[in-house]
Amino acid sequence: MTTQTEAELRMAELLVEALNLEDIEAKDIDPDEPLFGDGLGLDSIDALEIAVAISQEYGLKMKAEDESTREAFATLKTLTNFVANNA
Amino acid sequence: MAKTHPLVARQPNAPIAFLSKPSKHFGGIVGLVDAQTFISHVNAFVVALARNYLQDKQYAINLCKDRYLFLVSFCAVIKCKQTNLLAANKKKITQEQLSEQYEGSYLIHDGADVINAIPVFDASTWTLNSDAVNTSTDEQHWPHIEDEHLACISFTSGSTGQSKPNLKYWHTLHKSTQINGAFMLDGTDKTVFQVATMPPQHMWGLETSILLPLFDNVCMTDSQPLFPQDILDALETLPTPRLLVSTPVHLRALVADDTALPQLDNILCATSPLDPELAGSVETRFGCTLKEVYGCSEVGSMAVRKTATECSWRGFDGLTFDDKDDGTVVSAAHLPESIVLQDNIEFLDDGRFLLSGRVTDLIKVAGKRGSLLEINQILMRFNGLLDGVIFKPETENTTARLCAIVALKPNVDKASLIAFLREHLDDALVPRPVYVVDSLPRESNGKLLKNSLYSLLECLKV
Repeated sequence: MTTQTEAELRMAELLVEALNLEDIEAKDIDPDEPLFGDGLGLDSIDALEIAVAISQEYGLKMKAEDESTREAFATLKTLTNFVANNA
Repeated sequence: MAKTHPLVARQPNAPIAFLSKPSKHFGGIVGLVDAQTFISHVNAFVVALARNYLQDKQYAINLCKDRYLFLVSFCAVIKCKQTNLLAANKKKITQEQLSEQYEGSYLIHDGADVINAIPVFDASTWTLNSDAVNTSTDEQHWPHIEDEHLACISFTSGSTGQSKPNLKYWHTLHKSTQINGAFMLDGTDKTVFQVATMPPQHMWGLETSILLPLFDNVCMTDSQPLFPQDILDALETLPTPRLLVSTPVHLRALVADDTALPQLDNILCATSPLDPELAGSVETRFGCTLKEVYGCSEVGSMAVRKTATECSWRGFDGLTFDDKDDGTVVSAAHLPESIVLQDNIEFLDDGRFLLSGRVTDLIKVAGKRGSLLEINQILMRFNGLLDGVIFKPETENTTARLCAIVALKPNVDKASLIAFLREHLDDALVPRPVYVVDSLPRESNGKLLKNSLYSLLECLKV
Protein backbone atom coordinates (compact mmCIF):
# COMPACT_ATOMS: atom_id res chain seq x y z
CA MET A 1 0.00 0.00 0.00
CA THR A 2 1.18 3.51 -0.83
CA THR A 3 1.59 5.73 2.24
CA GLN A 4 -1.23 8.21 2.79
CA THR A 5 -0.50 11.92 2.84
CA GLU A 6 -2.01 13.96 5.65
CA ALA A 7 -4.72 15.31 3.31
CA GLU A 8 -5.52 11.79 2.16
CA LEU A 9 -5.90 10.59 5.73
CA ARG A 10 -8.29 13.47 6.40
CA MET A 11 -10.33 12.52 3.33
CA ALA A 12 -10.27 8.84 4.33
CA GLU A 13 -11.62 9.81 7.76
CA LEU A 14 -14.40 11.76 6.07
CA LEU A 15 -15.31 8.70 3.96
CA VAL A 16 -15.33 6.33 6.92
CA GLU A 17 -17.49 8.77 8.88
CA ALA A 18 -19.92 9.59 6.05
CA LEU A 19 -20.39 5.99 4.97
CA ASN A 20 -20.28 4.28 8.37
CA LEU A 21 -17.46 2.03 7.21
CA GLU A 22 -17.27 0.44 10.65
CA ASP A 23 -15.05 -2.43 9.59
CA ILE A 24 -12.43 -0.23 7.94
CA GLU A 25 -9.92 2.10 9.53
CA ALA A 26 -9.25 5.34 7.68
CA LYS A 27 -5.51 4.77 7.74
CA ASP A 28 -5.96 1.40 5.96
CA ILE A 29 -7.52 2.80 2.80
CA ASP A 30 -4.97 2.54 0.01
CA PRO A 31 -4.75 5.94 -1.78
CA ASP A 32 -4.46 4.10 -5.13
CA GLU A 33 -7.19 1.51 -4.61
CA PRO A 34 -10.39 2.08 -6.65
CA LEU A 35 -13.19 3.45 -4.46
CA PHE A 36 -15.96 1.92 -6.56
CA GLY A 37 -16.44 -1.50 -8.12
CA ASP A 38 -13.88 -4.08 -7.09
CA GLY A 39 -11.88 -1.92 -4.71
CA LEU A 40 -13.62 -0.44 -1.69
CA GLY A 41 -16.91 -1.43 -3.37
CA LEU A 42 -18.82 1.81 -3.03
CA ASP A 43 -21.96 2.49 -5.09
CA SER A 44 -23.94 5.47 -6.35
CA ILE A 45 -25.74 6.10 -3.06
CA ASP A 46 -22.30 6.23 -1.39
CA ALA A 47 -21.17 8.70 -4.03
CA LEU A 48 -24.13 10.87 -3.07
CA GLU A 49 -23.21 10.64 0.64
CA ILE A 50 -19.60 11.57 -0.16
CA ALA A 51 -20.71 14.55 -2.26
CA VAL A 52 -22.85 15.79 0.64
CA ALA A 53 -20.02 15.32 3.14
CA ILE A 54 -17.55 17.16 0.87
CA SER A 55 -20.03 19.98 0.40
CA GLN A 56 -20.47 20.29 4.17
CA GLU A 57 -16.77 19.99 4.98
CA TYR A 58 -15.19 21.96 2.12
CA GLY A 59 -18.12 23.91 0.63
CA LEU A 60 -17.42 22.28 -2.73
CA LYS A 61 -20.49 21.40 -4.84
CA MET A 62 -19.69 18.41 -7.01
CA LYS A 63 -21.78 17.33 -9.98
CA ALA A 64 -22.13 13.65 -10.84
CA GLU A 65 -22.61 14.61 -14.47
CA ASP A 66 -19.20 16.26 -14.80
CA GLU A 67 -16.45 14.15 -16.36
CA SER A 68 -14.03 15.60 -13.80
CA THR A 69 -16.17 14.20 -10.98
CA ARG A 70 -16.00 10.73 -12.47
CA GLU A 71 -12.20 11.05 -12.57
CA ALA A 72 -12.12 12.47 -9.04
CA PHE A 73 -14.03 9.51 -7.63
CA ALA A 74 -11.49 7.00 -8.96
CA THR A 75 -9.34 6.68 -5.83
CA LEU A 76 -8.71 8.31 -2.47
CA LYS A 77 -5.75 10.11 -4.05
CA THR A 78 -7.68 11.56 -7.00
CA LEU A 79 -10.55 12.63 -4.74
CA THR A 80 -8.18 14.36 -2.31
CA ASN A 81 -6.39 16.15 -5.16
CA PHE A 82 -9.69 17.21 -6.75
CA VAL A 83 -10.92 18.76 -3.52
CA ALA A 84 -7.56 20.45 -2.90
CA ASN A 85 -7.62 21.98 -6.38
CA ASN A 86 -11.27 23.05 -6.44
CA ALA A 87 -12.39 23.86 -2.91
CA MET B 1 -62.94 -5.08 -31.66
CA ALA B 2 -60.43 -5.07 -28.84
CA LYS B 3 -60.48 -2.02 -26.56
CA THR B 4 -57.59 0.36 -27.08
CA HIS B 5 -56.09 3.47 -25.51
CA PRO B 6 -53.77 6.04 -27.13
CA LEU B 7 -50.02 5.50 -26.77
CA VAL B 8 -49.91 9.15 -25.74
CA ALA B 9 -53.05 10.75 -24.31
CA ARG B 10 -51.85 14.34 -24.79
CA GLN B 11 -52.59 17.12 -27.26
CA PRO B 12 -50.21 16.96 -30.29
CA ASN B 13 -48.58 20.26 -29.27
CA ALA B 14 -48.39 19.47 -25.53
CA PRO B 15 -44.84 19.36 -24.12
CA ILE B 16 -44.04 15.79 -23.10
CA ALA B 17 -40.30 16.07 -22.56
CA PHE B 18 -37.61 18.66 -21.89
CA LEU B 19 -34.16 17.79 -23.24
CA SER B 20 -31.51 19.46 -21.12
CA LYS B 21 -28.72 19.09 -23.69
CA PRO B 22 -28.68 18.73 -27.49
CA SER B 23 -29.65 15.13 -28.13
CA LYS B 24 -27.28 13.26 -30.42
CA HIS B 25 -30.02 10.70 -30.96
CA PHE B 26 -32.70 13.13 -32.06
CA GLY B 27 -30.96 15.49 -34.45
CA GLY B 28 -29.51 17.83 -31.83
CA ILE B 29 -32.93 18.82 -30.54
CA VAL B 30 -32.83 20.65 -27.20
CA GLY B 31 -35.54 22.02 -24.94
CA LEU B 32 -39.21 21.10 -25.25
CA VAL B 33 -40.43 18.13 -27.28
CA ASP B 34 -44.15 18.04 -28.02
CA ALA B 35 -46.28 14.89 -28.18
CA GLN B 36 -46.41 14.95 -31.97
CA THR B 37 -42.62 15.10 -32.33
CA PHE B 38 -42.30 12.45 -29.65
CA ILE B 39 -44.49 10.09 -31.69
CA SER B 40 -42.27 10.63 -34.73
CA HIS B 41 -39.29 9.65 -32.54
CA VAL B 42 -41.11 6.49 -31.44
CA ASN B 43 -41.89 5.64 -35.07
CA ALA B 44 -38.25 6.10 -36.04
CA PHE B 45 -37.19 3.81 -33.20
CA VAL B 46 -39.66 1.19 -34.43
CA VAL B 47 -37.95 1.39 -37.85
CA ALA B 48 -34.58 0.96 -36.14
CA LEU B 49 -35.78 -2.16 -34.33
CA ALA B 50 -37.05 -3.60 -37.62
CA ARG B 51 -33.77 -2.77 -39.36
CA ASN B 52 -31.99 -4.77 -36.67
CA TYR B 53 -34.37 -7.71 -37.14
CA LEU B 54 -35.85 -7.20 -33.70
CA GLN B 55 -39.43 -6.44 -34.66
CA ASP B 56 -40.57 -10.04 -34.29
CA LYS B 57 -38.99 -10.56 -30.91
CA GLN B 58 -41.18 -10.71 -27.86
CA TYR B 59 -39.34 -9.16 -24.92
CA ALA B 60 -37.00 -6.19 -24.69
CA ILE B 61 -34.77 -5.92 -21.62
CA ASN B 62 -34.73 -2.14 -21.60
CA LEU B 63 -31.65 -0.78 -19.82
CA CYS B 64 -31.62 2.76 -21.29
CA LYS B 65 -30.23 5.31 -18.86
CA ASP B 66 -31.08 8.49 -20.79
CA ARG B 67 -34.63 8.98 -19.58
CA TYR B 68 -35.96 10.37 -22.86
CA LEU B 69 -34.35 7.52 -24.83
CA PHE B 70 -35.99 5.14 -22.37
CA LEU B 71 -39.38 6.81 -22.94
CA VAL B 72 -39.00 6.54 -26.72
CA SER B 73 -37.75 2.94 -26.70
CA PHE B 74 -40.30 1.88 -24.08
CA CYS B 75 -43.11 3.12 -26.33
CA ALA B 76 -41.52 1.71 -29.52
CA VAL B 77 -41.35 -1.72 -27.89
CA ILE B 78 -45.02 -1.46 -26.93
CA LYS B 79 -45.97 -0.24 -30.40
CA CYS B 80 -44.25 -3.37 -31.83
CA LYS B 81 -46.57 -5.45 -29.61
CA GLN B 82 -43.62 -6.47 -27.49
CA THR B 83 -43.09 -6.35 -23.73
CA ASN B 84 -40.49 -4.27 -21.86
CA LEU B 85 -38.67 -6.19 -19.15
CA LEU B 86 -37.74 -3.77 -16.37
CA ALA B 87 -34.80 -5.45 -14.69
CA ALA B 88 -34.21 -4.67 -11.01
CA ASN B 89 -30.60 -3.82 -11.87
CA LYS B 90 -28.16 -3.80 -14.79
CA LYS B 91 -26.01 -6.70 -13.63
CA LYS B 92 -25.03 -9.26 -16.25
CA ILE B 93 -26.29 -12.10 -14.10
CA THR B 94 -29.72 -10.46 -14.04
CA GLN B 95 -29.64 -10.07 -17.83
CA GLU B 96 -28.73 -13.75 -18.14
CA GLN B 97 -31.57 -14.86 -15.90
CA LEU B 98 -34.13 -12.76 -17.76
CA SER B 99 -32.91 -13.97 -21.15
CA GLU B 100 -33.25 -17.58 -19.97
CA GLN B 101 -36.68 -17.04 -18.45
CA TYR B 102 -38.10 -15.09 -21.37
CA GLU B 103 -37.62 -16.74 -24.70
CA GLY B 104 -37.41 -14.31 -27.59
CA SER B 105 -35.82 -11.54 -25.57
CA TYR B 106 -33.23 -8.96 -26.61
CA LEU B 107 -31.45 -6.02 -24.99
CA ILE B 108 -31.79 -2.30 -25.58
CA HIS B 109 -29.16 -0.17 -23.86
CA ASP B 110 -27.24 3.08 -24.21
CA GLY B 111 -23.89 2.15 -22.75
CA ALA B 112 -24.42 -0.66 -20.22
CA ASP B 113 -22.18 -3.68 -19.79
CA VAL B 114 -24.26 -6.33 -21.56
CA ILE B 115 -24.25 -10.08 -22.21
CA ASN B 116 -23.93 -11.34 -25.77
CA ALA B 117 -26.10 -14.46 -25.52
CA ILE B 118 -29.11 -12.63 -27.00
CA PRO B 119 -29.45 -9.92 -29.66
CA VAL B 120 -28.42 -6.47 -28.49
CA PHE B 121 -29.55 -3.10 -29.79
CA ASP B 122 -26.94 -0.54 -28.73
CA ALA B 123 -28.91 2.70 -28.87
CA SER B 124 -25.96 4.79 -27.70
CA THR B 125 -24.84 5.29 -31.31
CA TRP B 126 -28.33 5.34 -32.83
CA THR B 127 -29.45 8.53 -34.47
CA LEU B 128 -32.77 9.54 -35.89
CA ASN B 129 -31.31 10.33 -39.35
CA SER B 130 -31.36 6.92 -40.94
CA ASP B 131 -34.66 5.94 -39.43
CA ALA B 132 -36.70 9.14 -39.60
CA VAL B 133 -39.96 8.36 -41.26
CA ASN B 134 -42.73 10.49 -42.58
CA THR B 135 -45.27 10.47 -39.85
CA SER B 136 -48.75 11.62 -40.37
CA THR B 137 -49.98 12.88 -37.05
CA ASP B 138 -53.68 13.13 -37.75
CA GLU B 139 -56.00 11.28 -35.41
CA GLN B 140 -56.04 8.24 -37.68
CA HIS B 141 -52.33 7.63 -37.27
CA TRP B 142 -52.05 8.56 -33.62
CA PRO B 143 -51.04 5.14 -32.28
CA HIS B 144 -53.45 3.23 -30.09
CA ILE B 145 -52.52 0.20 -28.03
CA GLU B 146 -54.78 -2.69 -27.11
CA ASP B 147 -55.80 -2.63 -23.46
CA GLU B 148 -54.87 -6.28 -23.02
CA HIS B 149 -51.34 -5.83 -24.39
CA LEU B 150 -48.65 -6.77 -21.85
CA ALA B 151 -46.70 -3.51 -21.93
CA CYS B 152 -44.06 -4.28 -19.34
CA ILE B 153 -43.03 -6.59 -16.55
CA SER B 154 -41.40 -5.15 -13.46
CA PHE B 155 -39.34 -7.22 -11.09
CA THR B 156 -39.34 -6.76 -7.37
CA SER B 157 -36.42 -8.36 -5.71
CA GLY B 158 -33.00 -6.80 -5.27
CA SER B 159 -31.53 -10.25 -4.71
CA THR B 160 -31.19 -12.67 -7.56
CA GLY B 161 -33.48 -15.43 -6.46
CA GLN B 162 -36.52 -16.06 -8.59
CA SER B 163 -37.91 -12.55 -8.36
CA LYS B 164 -41.62 -12.35 -8.90
CA PRO B 165 -42.67 -10.79 -12.19
CA ASN B 166 -45.35 -8.12 -11.95
CA LEU B 167 -47.38 -8.01 -15.14
CA LYS B 168 -48.39 -4.55 -16.32
CA TYR B 169 -50.98 -4.56 -19.08
CA TRP B 170 -51.67 -1.42 -21.08
CA HIS B 171 -54.97 -0.81 -19.26
CA THR B 172 -53.18 -1.30 -15.92
CA LEU B 173 -50.72 1.45 -16.88
CA HIS B 174 -53.15 4.06 -18.18
CA LYS B 175 -55.84 3.51 -15.52
CA SER B 176 -53.39 3.53 -12.61
CA THR B 177 -51.77 6.67 -14.04
CA GLN B 178 -55.13 8.42 -14.20
CA ILE B 179 -55.59 7.67 -10.48
CA ASN B 180 -51.98 8.64 -9.67
CA GLY B 181 -52.39 11.96 -11.47
CA ALA B 182 -55.50 12.78 -9.47
CA PHE B 183 -53.73 12.20 -6.15
CA MET B 184 -50.18 13.31 -6.93
CA LEU B 185 -50.69 16.40 -9.08
CA ASP B 186 -52.48 19.59 -8.19
CA GLY B 187 -55.37 19.21 -10.60
CA THR B 188 -54.53 22.14 -12.85
CA ASP B 189 -54.67 22.02 -16.65
CA LYS B 190 -51.22 23.60 -16.75
CA THR B 191 -48.33 21.34 -17.73
CA VAL B 192 -46.02 20.77 -14.80
CA PHE B 193 -42.28 20.36 -15.47
CA GLN B 194 -40.69 17.47 -13.67
CA VAL B 195 -37.25 16.40 -12.49
CA ALA B 196 -37.06 12.81 -11.25
CA THR B 197 -34.16 11.14 -9.44
CA MET B 198 -35.14 7.47 -9.73
CA PRO B 199 -34.25 5.33 -12.77
CA PRO B 200 -37.21 4.78 -15.12
CA GLN B 201 -36.86 0.99 -14.70
CA HIS B 202 -37.85 1.31 -11.04
CA MET B 203 -41.64 1.30 -10.51
CA TRP B 204 -41.64 4.69 -8.76
CA GLY B 205 -39.54 6.19 -11.57
CA LEU B 206 -41.72 4.53 -14.22
CA GLU B 207 -45.02 5.73 -12.79
CA THR B 208 -43.90 9.30 -12.34
CA SER B 209 -41.33 10.07 -15.03
CA ILE B 210 -42.61 7.86 -17.87
CA LEU B 211 -46.33 7.20 -17.39
CA LEU B 212 -47.49 10.58 -16.06
CA PRO B 213 -46.00 12.36 -19.13
CA LEU B 214 -47.78 9.90 -21.45
CA PHE B 215 -51.22 10.34 -19.89
CA ASP B 216 -51.29 13.51 -17.79
CA ASN B 217 -50.11 17.13 -17.89
CA VAL B 218 -46.53 16.36 -17.01
CA CYS B 219 -43.36 17.16 -18.95
CA MET B 220 -40.43 14.88 -18.08
CA THR B 221 -36.71 15.61 -18.42
CA ASP B 222 -34.00 13.44 -19.95
CA SER B 223 -31.74 13.63 -16.91
CA GLN B 224 -31.31 11.34 -13.95
CA PRO B 225 -29.55 13.68 -11.53
CA LEU B 226 -27.78 12.17 -8.55
CA PHE B 227 -25.94 14.80 -6.50
CA PRO B 228 -27.74 17.82 -4.99
CA GLN B 229 -26.04 20.18 -7.45
CA ASP B 230 -27.13 18.00 -10.41
CA ILE B 231 -30.73 18.09 -9.18
CA LEU B 232 -30.62 21.86 -8.67
CA ASP B 233 -29.09 22.39 -12.13
CA ALA B 234 -31.82 20.25 -13.71
CA LEU B 235 -34.54 22.21 -11.90
CA GLU B 236 -32.88 25.50 -12.82
CA THR B 237 -33.26 24.93 -16.57
CA LEU B 238 -36.98 24.09 -16.39
CA PRO B 239 -39.96 26.37 -16.92
CA THR B 240 -42.49 26.67 -14.05
CA PRO B 241 -44.53 25.18 -12.45
CA ARG B 242 -41.95 22.66 -11.33
CA LEU B 243 -42.31 19.25 -9.73
CA LEU B 244 -39.54 17.25 -8.06
CA VAL B 245 -40.03 13.49 -7.78
CA SER B 246 -37.52 11.93 -5.45
CA THR B 247 -36.62 9.69 -2.52
CA PRO B 248 -35.74 10.34 1.14
CA VAL B 249 -32.04 9.79 0.34
CA HIS B 250 -31.93 12.54 -2.31
CA LEU B 251 -34.14 14.93 -0.33
CA ARG B 252 -31.97 14.60 2.76
CA ALA B 253 -28.90 15.37 0.64
CA LEU B 254 -30.61 18.45 -0.83
CA VAL B 255 -31.29 20.04 2.55
CA ALA B 256 -28.04 18.88 4.17
CA ASP B 257 -26.41 22.30 3.92
CA ASP B 258 -27.66 25.86 3.58
CA THR B 259 -27.41 26.16 -0.23
CA ALA B 260 -30.19 28.42 -1.57
CA LEU B 261 -32.95 26.21 -2.98
CA PRO B 262 -35.43 27.18 -5.71
CA GLN B 263 -39.14 27.63 -5.06
CA LEU B 264 -41.00 24.60 -6.37
CA ASP B 265 -44.68 23.88 -6.84
CA ASN B 266 -44.90 20.24 -5.81
CA ILE B 267 -42.62 17.54 -4.40
CA LEU B 268 -43.34 13.82 -4.38
CA CYS B 269 -41.33 11.28 -2.41
CA ALA B 270 -41.44 7.48 -2.20
CA THR B 271 -39.37 4.24 -1.94
CA SER B 272 -38.71 4.25 1.82
CA PRO B 273 -40.24 5.85 4.91
CA LEU B 274 -39.72 9.60 5.10
CA ASP B 275 -38.93 11.22 8.41
CA PRO B 276 -41.58 13.90 9.27
CA GLU B 277 -38.89 16.31 10.41
CA LEU B 278 -37.07 15.97 7.08
CA ALA B 279 -40.42 16.40 5.27
CA GLY B 280 -41.01 19.65 7.19
CA SER B 281 -37.58 20.98 6.40
CA VAL B 282 -37.96 20.12 2.68
CA GLU B 283 -41.32 21.94 2.57
CA THR B 284 -39.85 25.05 4.20
CA ARG B 285 -36.73 25.14 2.03
CA PHE B 286 -38.56 24.59 -1.30
CA GLY B 287 -41.65 26.58 -0.33
CA CYS B 288 -44.21 23.95 -1.33
CA THR B 289 -46.08 20.92 -0.09
CA LEU B 290 -44.37 17.53 -0.06
CA LYS B 291 -46.51 14.48 -0.63
CA GLU B 292 -45.17 11.10 0.38
CA VAL B 293 -46.52 8.21 -1.67
CA TYR B 294 -46.91 4.65 -0.45
CA GLY B 295 -46.62 1.91 -3.02
CA CYS B 296 -45.08 -1.38 -4.06
CA SER B 297 -43.93 -2.85 -7.37
CA GLU B 298 -46.90 -5.22 -7.57
CA VAL B 299 -49.59 -2.54 -7.29
CA GLY B 300 -47.77 0.72 -7.94
CA SER B 301 -48.70 3.80 -5.92
CA MET B 302 -51.53 3.24 -3.46
CA ALA B 303 -51.78 6.04 -0.92
CA VAL B 304 -50.54 9.49 -0.09
CA ARG B 305 -49.95 11.71 2.95
CA LYS B 306 -48.49 15.12 3.67
CA THR B 307 -45.81 13.71 5.92
CA ALA B 308 -44.84 17.01 7.58
CA THR B 309 -48.30 17.27 9.15
CA GLU B 310 -50.05 13.90 8.69
CA CYS B 311 -49.32 10.45 10.14
CA SER B 312 -52.11 8.59 8.38
CA TRP B 313 -52.42 7.70 4.70
CA ARG B 314 -55.24 8.40 2.27
CA GLY B 315 -55.75 5.37 0.03
CA PHE B 316 -56.26 6.11 -3.65
CA ASP B 317 -59.73 5.85 -5.17
CA GLY B 318 -60.18 2.79 -7.33
CA LEU B 319 -58.18 0.59 -4.96
CA THR B 320 -59.87 -1.62 -2.37
CA PHE B 321 -58.03 -2.52 0.83
CA ASP B 322 -59.41 -5.62 2.61
CA ASP B 323 -58.25 -7.00 5.94
CA LYS B 324 -57.75 -10.74 5.54
CA ASP B 325 -56.20 -13.38 7.77
CA ASP B 326 -52.87 -13.29 5.99
CA GLY B 327 -52.69 -9.50 5.81
CA THR B 328 -54.17 -6.61 3.90
CA VAL B 329 -55.24 -7.46 0.36
CA VAL B 330 -55.33 -4.78 -2.33
CA SER B 331 -57.47 -5.20 -5.41
CA ALA B 332 -58.48 -2.94 -8.27
CA ALA B 333 -60.27 -3.30 -11.60
CA HIS B 334 -57.03 -2.46 -13.43
CA LEU B 335 -54.86 -5.02 -11.58
CA PRO B 336 -54.50 -8.54 -12.99
CA GLU B 337 -54.73 -10.04 -9.48
CA SER B 338 -55.19 -9.12 -5.85
CA ILE B 339 -52.01 -8.49 -3.90
CA VAL B 340 -51.26 -9.27 -0.26
CA LEU B 341 -49.33 -6.28 1.09
CA GLN B 342 -46.00 -6.76 2.86
CA ASP B 343 -46.85 -4.10 5.44
CA ASN B 344 -49.18 -4.26 8.42
CA ILE B 345 -52.01 -1.80 7.96
CA GLU B 346 -54.17 -0.36 10.71
CA PHE B 347 -57.41 1.22 9.53
CA LEU B 348 -58.73 4.34 11.22
CA ASP B 349 -62.37 5.44 11.57
CA ASP B 350 -62.08 8.15 8.93
CA GLY B 351 -61.09 5.62 6.26
CA ARG B 352 -57.43 6.55 6.41
CA PHE B 353 -54.81 4.10 7.60
CA LEU B 354 -51.49 3.79 9.42
CA LEU B 355 -48.57 1.61 8.36
CA SER B 356 -47.20 -0.43 11.22
CA GLY B 357 -44.20 -2.47 10.18
CA ARG B 358 -43.38 -5.27 7.81
CA VAL B 359 -45.21 -8.58 7.84
CA THR B 360 -42.32 -10.60 6.51
CA ASP B 361 -38.55 -10.58 6.59
CA LEU B 362 -38.43 -8.15 3.70
CA ILE B 363 -35.98 -5.32 4.14
CA LYS B 364 -35.43 -2.24 2.06
CA VAL B 365 -32.15 -0.47 1.45
CA ALA B 366 -31.97 2.58 -0.82
CA GLY B 367 -35.25 1.68 -2.52
CA LYS B 368 -34.21 -1.91 -3.21
CA ARG B 369 -36.28 -4.61 -1.61
CA GLY B 370 -34.88 -7.95 -0.62
CA SER B 371 -35.72 -10.90 1.56
CA LEU B 372 -33.27 -11.45 4.41
CA LEU B 373 -33.95 -15.18 4.13
CA GLU B 374 -33.05 -15.18 0.45
CA ILE B 375 -29.98 -12.99 1.02
CA ASN B 376 -28.78 -15.37 3.74
CA GLN B 377 -29.36 -18.34 1.43
CA ILE B 378 -27.07 -16.67 -1.09
CA LEU B 379 -24.45 -16.20 1.65
CA MET B 380 -24.69 -19.92 2.47
CA ARG B 381 -23.87 -20.79 -1.14
CA PHE B 382 -20.41 -19.19 -0.82
CA ASN B 383 -17.90 -22.04 -0.91
CA GLY B 384 -15.42 -20.44 1.46
CA LEU B 385 -17.99 -19.95 4.23
CA LEU B 386 -17.88 -21.79 7.56
CA ASP B 387 -20.75 -19.92 9.16
CA GLY B 388 -22.31 -16.52 8.85
CA VAL B 389 -25.32 -14.26 9.01
CA ILE B 390 -26.51 -11.13 7.26
CA PHE B 391 -28.91 -8.88 9.13
CA LYS B 392 -30.17 -5.33 9.33
CA PRO B 393 -28.92 -3.68 12.52
CA GLU B 394 -31.45 -1.56 14.37
CA THR B 395 -30.17 1.97 14.01
CA GLU B 396 -31.31 5.55 13.79
CA ASN B 397 -29.27 5.92 10.65
CA THR B 398 -31.71 5.82 7.73
CA THR B 399 -29.06 5.00 5.14
CA ALA B 400 -27.56 2.10 7.08
CA ARG B 401 -26.72 -0.97 5.03
CA LEU B 402 -26.99 -4.61 5.93
CA CYS B 403 -24.33 -6.07 8.18
CA ALA B 404 -22.57 -9.43 7.86
CA ILE B 405 -20.69 -11.43 10.46
CA VAL B 406 -18.94 -14.43 8.98
CA ALA B 407 -16.47 -17.18 9.74
CA LEU B 408 -14.41 -18.18 6.71
CA LYS B 409 -12.48 -21.32 5.79
CA PRO B 410 -8.68 -21.08 6.06
CA ASN B 411 -7.06 -19.13 3.21
CA VAL B 412 -10.36 -17.59 2.10
CA ASP B 413 -10.32 -13.81 2.28
CA LYS B 414 -13.08 -11.31 2.89
CA ALA B 415 -12.62 -9.75 -0.54
CA SER B 416 -13.59 -12.96 -2.32
CA LEU B 417 -16.76 -13.23 -0.22
CA ILE B 418 -17.66 -9.62 -1.01
CA ALA B 419 -16.99 -10.21 -4.71
CA PHE B 420 -19.30 -13.24 -4.59
CA LEU B 421 -22.07 -11.30 -2.85
CA ARG B 422 -21.70 -8.41 -5.27
CA GLU B 423 -22.21 -10.79 -8.15
CA HIS B 424 -25.46 -12.12 -6.70
CA LEU B 425 -26.96 -9.15 -4.90
CA ASP B 426 -27.99 -5.69 -5.83
CA ASP B 427 -25.29 -3.18 -4.81
CA ALA B 428 -27.53 -1.65 -2.17
CA LEU B 429 -28.04 -5.05 -0.54
CA VAL B 430 -24.40 -6.09 -0.38
CA PRO B 431 -23.64 -6.04 3.36
CA ARG B 432 -21.28 -3.47 4.78
CA PRO B 433 -19.64 -3.76 7.19
CA VAL B 434 -18.55 -7.39 6.82
CA TYR B 435 -16.87 -8.67 9.98
CA VAL B 436 -14.79 -11.84 9.90
CA VAL B 437 -14.74 -13.79 13.18
CA ASP B 438 -13.50 -17.23 14.23
CA SER B 439 -16.97 -18.46 15.06
CA LEU B 440 -20.50 -17.12 15.62
CA PRO B 441 -21.99 -17.08 19.13
CA ARG B 442 -24.56 -19.82 18.49
CA GLU B 443 -26.54 -21.49 21.29
CA SER B 444 -26.14 -25.21 21.84
CA ASN B 445 -29.28 -25.77 19.74
CA GLY B 446 -27.63 -23.91 16.86
CA LYS B 447 -29.75 -20.77 17.20
CA LEU B 448 -28.28 -17.35 16.96
CA LEU B 449 -29.87 -15.02 19.51
CA LYS B 450 -30.35 -11.39 18.64
CA ASN B 451 -28.77 -10.29 21.94
CA SER B 452 -25.56 -12.23 21.42
CA LEU B 453 -25.38 -11.03 17.84
CA TYR B 454 -25.75 -7.39 18.86
CA SER B 455 -23.21 -7.58 21.68
CA LEU B 456 -20.76 -9.23 19.30
CA LEU B 457 -21.41 -6.44 16.79
CA GLU B 458 -20.66 -3.79 19.43
CA CYS B 459 -17.30 -5.46 20.19
CA LEU B 460 -16.41 -5.68 16.51
CA LYS B 461 -16.94 -2.01 15.69
CA VAL B 462 -13.61 -0.29 15.31
